[in-house]
Amino acid sequence: MAYDSASLDKPFDVLKTFDWGGDASALQPIDAAVVAAHGDPAARTDLEKRLAALLGAGTSRAAKEYICRKLSLIGTAASVPSLAALLSEKDHSHMARFALERINAAEATEALRKALGTVQGDLKIGMISSLAGRGDAASVPAIAALLSGESKTAVAAAVALGRLHTPEACQALAAASSVTDKAATAAICDARLACAESLLRQGKRAEAKAIYTSLSETATAGTTPTAQATRLAAARGILACLDTTTTS
Amino acid sequence: MHLFFSRFHGGIALTWAALTCLSCGLRPATAADATVPQDAVQMTIEFLGKDDQAFRAIGLDRIRYGLKGEAATVQFAGLLSKLAPARQAELTAALADRGDRAALPAMLALLMASKEPAVRAAALSGLGALGSGPEVAVLKTSLASADPEKAAARRALTVVRGNDVTPLIVEAAKAGEPSLRPTFIDILADRRAVSALPDLLAAAVDGDPAVRTAAMRALARLGGPEQVTGMVQGVLKAAAGGERDEAERAVVTVCTQNPGKEKAAEALLTQFKAADDSVQETLLTVLARVGGTGAIAIVDGLITDTNTAKRKLGLTALTKWPDATVSQRLLDLLGTSQDQAERDQLLGTLIRIAPLPDNKLNDKQKLELLEKTMSLCKRDEDRRRVLERANAIRTIETLRFVVPYLDDPNLAEPACLSVVELAHHRTIRDANKDEFTKALDKVLATTKNEELIERAERYKQGQTWERKKPAKS
Repeated sequence: MAYDSASLDKPFDVLKTFDWGGDASALQPIDAAVVAAHGDPAARTDLEKRLAALLGAGTSRAAKEYICRKLSLIGTAASVPSLAALLSEKDHSHMARFALERINAAEATEALRKALGTVQGDLKIGMISSLAGRGDAASVPAIAALLSGESKTAVAAAVALGRLHTPEACQALAAASSVTDKAATAAICDARLACAESLLRQGKRAEAKAIYTSLSETATAGTTPTAQATRLAAARGILACLDTTTTS
Repeated sequence: MHLFFSRFHGGIALTWAALTCLSCGLRPATAADATVPQDAVQMTIEFLGKDDQAFRAIGLDRIRYGLKGEAATVQFAGLLSKLAPARQAELTAALADRGDRAALPAMLALLMASKEPAVRAAALSGLGALGSGPEVAVLKTSLASADPEKAAARRALTVVRGNDVTPLIVEAAKAGEPSLRPTFIDILADRRAVSALPDLLAAAVDGDPAVRTAAMRALARLGGPEQVTGMVQGVLKAAAGGERDEAERAVVTVCTQNPGKEKAAEALLTQFKAADDSVQETLLTVLARVGGTGAIAIVDGLITDTNTAKRKLGLTALTKWPDATVSQRLLDLLGTSQDQAERDQLLGTLIRIAPLPDNKLNDKQKLELLEKTMSLCKRDEDRRRVLERANAIRTIETLRFVVPYLDDPNLAEPACLSVVELAHHRTIRDANKDEFTKALDKVLATTKNEELIERAERYKQGQTWERKKPAKS
């Protein structure tokens, strides 16, 4: 079906005042247009522009969520400024990240990276998660700096570094020995195991073994279930590293 | 290395050299291969020796899926003789899963050396997983042991691979230890050894009843149209009673369930027609159990025969029929027969076949047939059987048929049972809630059976009831 911008005027009018409980079927033509815009750059640009324009206006949270979902599918660098403006807003930050995480443009990463330095609390945790989701190796130093911070943020940072598992991420995790928060320590341990497994998969047996050995030594004295689980995981990892007959 | 094992277990004594020879010339454990990462091997061995089960599992996991190569296998297998029995069994299982035949000599040695049934059973399982023809002799001998070794040997003989394995088991089934011949036949069936079908047919007419029974059991699982002729010989050879009954059932299975069942049924009919009178008399029951239009023509001929004995044979055959296609014949015969014993036989058959879930009749037709049958019953004993069978037809109309009998003191209990059984099925019960509530209230006011009372109360409240599983003998 060919894209017809004029036919979307009415659905976009509905979207301007749309709220939860409203008739979502009135927005169906926009859904169809998003599908139809696949492989049609002009249509996609037009749709993206019209959707992004409503993010800044006095639209409801429901409308903004709807728009973010659509932009996650067709958004480009052109949508990033409108979405980035929502990153610091408690009600909209999550859906803005949802869209930015999926937009294939360096500007989207940059917006998330920038917001990481400005937002706080749960919003910061969200940025950490989204940057890890995008596999942004450049954000490792900023995320690593959060390992020694408040517990929940430190845990999120550790998890993110484990997901990124770049050499820098592995180093940052190894260097976080001064962290004393229990939850963060456990998350760092998990993240280091994730890094080691990644290295092993890449055939970097020596690097992986160094991490496993370090973890094993750290957990040796512990009697907690976590320490025992770490010892087991590390032992299994060391053995896998030594087994050069098997590809991991 | 000519290390002689002087210990004698289960009649087996083998030298180390013989063991290695048995295992297709696999080399015995030697010095560690240079390509095997010894640090990993040593760490694995260290883990195997730990008391912590989790660490042992890591080591066993590495043996199962890692540290590839025959040299590593030989190193690990070399540990078997040095471990405690429980650990020997663990390692044997891991080596079996590893799938490297290089572990076979050590497993055989373990089997010879260990007195622990669990260890010997693990070794036998290992031989099944890794072995082939040369290991069959040991497995066959171990079949004479007690469980768990016997069970392990049987499983091993079922799974052991190799083109030469089935012929070896066939040989044992033919001329092995007499008490084990049926077991070997069962193993052939478990192996789905269709190449052994000619031998199974020969065993079906063996002099040993246990062998014959096992052979017919195996043929029921593997047989097709080509085996029917031979299986019929098995039926004829079987002693009347339990053995004959089992043999007949085997033929029925081939003719009604196995691939090519239609052709098998045709083959049976052809053979029946070609047989003399005495053979036909024996085969008539099988023919009737299989059913079909060809068979009914033969039975019809017998029933209308003026010879009383033949008529009796025909009627007996009719009572074995597997479905409701003969219902009208049965009703017609009941309408004319004056002989009470004959009438009882016919009525009993009608009661049995009317509600059969064989798709020959729909639910309405089944109930109509049962109602007709009820009208022909002259004794409460028969009426009770009709009521008990009625609940197999799961419709609201069946409830309506049964409910009036709740008022008859002589028939109330079977009627109560059927009402409760019908109520057990939520789809009918919920769709006809009022009728079921009334019927269940009546059941509660009538029955003295505590289980029925409990069930009726539960169903009234929309609850389920879990049928008690029969106690295991």
